Amino acid sequence: MEFFIQQTINGLTLGGIYALIALGYTMVYGIIQLINFAHGEFFAAGGYLGVILLSFLVSRGYLETHPWLCLGGSLVLAMAYCAALAMAVEKVAYKPLRFASRLSVLLSALGMSIFLQNGLMLTQGVYDKPYPSIFSHGNIEFGNITVSYLQIIILVATVSLLVLLNILVFKTRIGKAMRATAQDKVMTSLLGISSNRIISITFAIGAALAAAAGIMVGLYYGSVRYDMGFVPGIKAFAAAVLGGIGNITGAMLGGLIIGMVEIYGAGYISGQYKDVFAFIILIGVLYFRPTGIMGENIDDTRI
Amino acid sequence: MKKRLAVIMIALVSILFCISPAMAKTLTIGTMSPLTGPYAADGNDIANGAKTAVAIIEAEGGIPGYDKIEVVSQDTACDPRQAVAAANKLVNLGVVGVVGAYCSSSTIPASEVLNEEDIPMITPASTNEKVTERGLPYMFRVCGRDDDQSIAAGKFIKNYLKAKTVYIVDDKTTYSQGLAENVAKQCEKLGVSVVSHDHVNQGDKDFSAVLTKIKRANPDMLYMSLQNSSSGSLMAIQAKRFGLKCAILAQDAVYHPQFINIAKEAAQGVYFTFGYVDKTKPSYQKYYEKYKALFGEPGAYSAYAYDSAYVLLTAIKQAKSTDPAKIKAEIMGMNIQGASKPIKFFENGDSTANYIIQVVKGEEFVPFWNPETGTLY
Amino acid sequence: MIPGSKHIWKKYAIAMIWLLVLLWPLLGIHADGTLTFSETWSVWIWIAGVLLGLLMLVLAHRSSTSRMVRAPVAIAMEKINRLGKVMPGKVWMVLIISVSLLFPFLTDRYAQDVAINVLVYVCLGLGLNIVVGLAGMLDLGYIAFYGVGAYTYALLSIHYQFSFWLSLPIAACFAAIAGCIIGYPTLRMRGDYLAIVTLGFGEIVRIILNNWMELTNGPNGILGINAPGLMLPQFSNGIGFEYIYLKKLHYLYYIVLLLCVFTVIAVHRLNFSRIGRAWEAIREDETVAELMGVNIFRLKLLAYAMGAVFGGLAGAFFAARMRFVSPESFTFIESAMVLAMVVLGGMGSIPGIILGAMALIVLPELFREVELYRMLAFGAAMTVMMLFRPKGLIPAKRVGTRSEEREG
Repeated sequence: MEFFIQQTINGLTLGGIYALIALGYTMVYGIIQLINFAHGEFFAAGGYLGVILLSFLVSRGYLETHPWLCLGGSLVLAMAYCAALAMAVEKVAYKPLRFASRLSVLLSALGMSIFLQNGLMLTQGVYDKPYPSIFSHGNIEFGNITVSYLQIIILVATVSLLVLLNILVFKTRIGKAMRATAQDKVMTSLLGISSNRIISITFAIGAALAAAAGIMVGLYYGSVRYDMGFVPGIKAFAAAVLGGIGNITGAMLGGLIIGMVEIYGAGYISGQYKDVFAFIILIGVLYFRPTGIMGENIDDTRI
Repeated sequence: MKKRLAVIMIALVSILFCISPAMAKTLTIGTMSPLTGPYAADGNDIANGAKTAVAIIEAEGGIPGYDKIEVVSQDTACDPRQAVAAANKLVNLGVVGVVGAYCSSSTIPASEVLNEEDIPMITPASTNEKVTERGLPYMFRVCGRDDDQSIAAGKFIKNYLKAKTVYIVDDKTTYSQGLAENVAKQCEKLGVSVVSHDHVNQGDKDFSAVLTKIKRANPDMLYMSLQNSSSGSLMAIQAKRFGLKCAILAQDAVYHPQFINIAKEAAQGVYFTFGYVDKTKPSYQKYYEKYKALFGEPGAYSAYAYDSAYVLLTAIKQAKSTDPAKIKAEIMGMNIQGASKPIKFFENGDSTANYIIQVVKGEEFVPFWNPETGTLY
Repeated sequence: MIPGSKHIWKKYAIAMIWLLVLLWPLLGIHADGTLTFSETWSVWIWIAGVLLGLLMLVLAHRSSTSRMVRAPVAIAMEKINRLGKVMPGKVWMVLIISVSLLFPFLTDRYAQDVAINVLVYVCLGLGLNIVVGLAGMLDLGYIAFYGVGAYTYALLSIHYQFSFWLSLPIAACFAAIAGCIIGYPTLRMRGDYLAIVTLGFGEIVRIILNNWMELTNGPNGILGINAPGLMLPQFSNGIGFEYIYLKKLHYLYYIVLLLCVFTVIAVHRLNFSRIGRAWEAIREDETVAELMGVNIFRLKLLAYAMGAVFGGLAGAFFAARMRFVSPESFTFIESAMVLAMVVLGGMGSIPGIILGAMALIVLPELFREVELYRMLAFGAAMTVMMLFRPKGLIPAKRVGTRSEEREG
């Protein structure tokens, strides 16, 4: 029983991380139907910015005195940085292709992903970068079950971001504009909403979320690496699709399911096949619900 | 459209023509390693190690008859197809020998290409036994083979730790899996029970599921067989977080300053099987100072790559020729103290090993236990 | 100064400031607590300079100042074009064929090796083209069929000593079966749902190859695969036949060229057959196609199977050529690369895909000169090519414009 509970907590944490990345992913997808391969790279860039800023602050001695202030500041700066990066990428690589075939944009995104990953490698070096370890201390123990504070932080952050995003999308004016743009870009522009600006803003929000996820992952695992964005990017894609692309709650659900399946698969069946289990669940769900768990019936989309 | 296609095709073909060998009075050696992609860290260590050897040889007066030694570093991206392309490129550039590659799956097909042209290849990192067991005359290996390392590990587990139960985890690469299987065999032979032999995938970051399993099994020792220091430090950190009490034994691939740098407190007390390096020996000092000056702290594969290149260049120097047969004769007759270990090659191209147990203490690795004598250092 | 150029300069300035902001934190903030600017400046000035140069070129191109340069070029181009018109398409075909036939005699082994890679990827690209370009289904796991083909030949060769030629159809069959297995559950899905499921299948195949020790020898790979062989007449001691393994690169080149020509012809014929038209109908509008009596179920499965066949053939050749297979050759990024060739070349267009495969294989090889910057340059090149030719280098003629074509 203890074993099961511990694995469940592990699964929730991993799922929470996937969900965090998938949230940003699904927002961007929802508005321009783009499989944004570069999203994983925004996540990695966020992790790197976090480590750059925090190590800088450590060596200046600020982290010792004001740890939480430093962490908050780094988080905000990293999010801002990734938002700026995403807007630049959007302007350069996606905007000129707005009316081209969706596959062209997909490839442009793939090119950007390769470019950014190698850019990170060249500027930051090929070795892993360690996060300062002062935040990773602290466990709560219930008998044999270990829960670290960071696991709780990740889950709380995922849930609160989910709530915040839902408020943003469904309760604010900008959210309304986003939904309108997602529905019909031409009609929205006729009504006086600059769809380019809305898309830019969506990218910025999505990347900022990815940056937050990057810092959280860096803190949790203790290090970042230039290619850290690739696999989680694919998992987030899977999570977003599983939940029904474009649906924020669905992305969260999808992330949690994939994380749980991986952990249970590794814990109870076999470690080396855990990704297989995740993908089989994904295929199984999509076989019976071809538009994901919470997805609505999409129109004829063609590539 | 067809016309334009033809024009462009002809242009591309002529570009291919233009990639012709560069001829100069320089001695060119090649390195092959993954400079991009997920293994870039180790790949760069290899390229840098070889460059260090060249810098030292040049500082010692170079090779008679040549003004300059040039190193051409080719990227394999750990992809067999690109490795073969890289090997062919090196053949074109007229290299006299190659240091590389990293992944066994790159080394094997690339070595076939190089051996067709009788170019000696010395691998600093590929541990698959098939690398040297195909009867290729010009294939050498400087890193140890899994069997040697697992014997040292087995002795340590049995005689020093006196462990009764061992949990083995590997990350499904040629290297890590081969080593893990050999360690399991050793344990069986020595009467240590292997609780479970579990696998994770290379590139995983989250080991919580398998660590929870280990915690439940409560073994005396965890043998983590991983491909590189990156995975090793991730697993060490998470093991500490889960409160794993058992001893942890890792191996030469995880041995890297980065491991201590990242895992920090979690790295303390982790044991390693690694070649015995006498840091006071001039052969090591020479290498370490040059490498540090050029590229910073060396990694595990840097020393092997340095030794590979050093062996190659010394052989050319002694043979006074770039004739492959003569180089081979010199390499086979070599008996020198390298940076990583004393080097002497066997008939099949493998070389000697001297694995000992090292432990992380503070900010560095220190020699801990000698499996030959069974004594502490 | 032409009107409107002020606007461009303003944009350029904003973009460069933006770049500086993005560049500095990565290059200028150090872990030892220092802030530096020199590296950032040097990189930034370099990039800004190059971009400025490009911008000037574009502006000069727009204004009349470059007419002096452009006029002779235009005349030359005109001449070449006229030459092209004088020479009918057949002449070009002959030229291409003769160049490709003579290629091994004119080049060294590196060029031959790259050429073989190009041809293998042409086969793969054309196979994927059936699924993506003709039937309009996004497939991100295509490399799985390549893997199935490669392992089929590898296993047949080491266990049963099957010859390469006999294994080719068997590999194709196995790949086709794999195609149907993957195709079946995905029939109801569309667009990106299909993409992730095919990606998942691709990964599943790779993970199985890496983990099924008994069958595939896992990460160690399979060694000792026979090269393709031929019965050749022997005259040295009497007349007889001898079985010779063709290990040399130029033999392999001709084999893959043959395979490639076969693929081109087959895909061309398929494209202009009833089946090809049905596929295109599915791509253009699935619902309407079904209404018009196209059997969606069978044709979609057929598309997967046919695509897989060519992937399997290329895979078998790959195994025979490397004489070694391991799961590292069949990663997701390879699937993405093949897809990139199809889209970059122009979906549904055979010459386009040949060109796309050339570009994506030759470019990283050209960038070998810049060592570490190789993949950076490659990623940028991919995006830039997409920006300038969003429909592909040589777009297919028959995408959504078929009624016009009939009129013309």
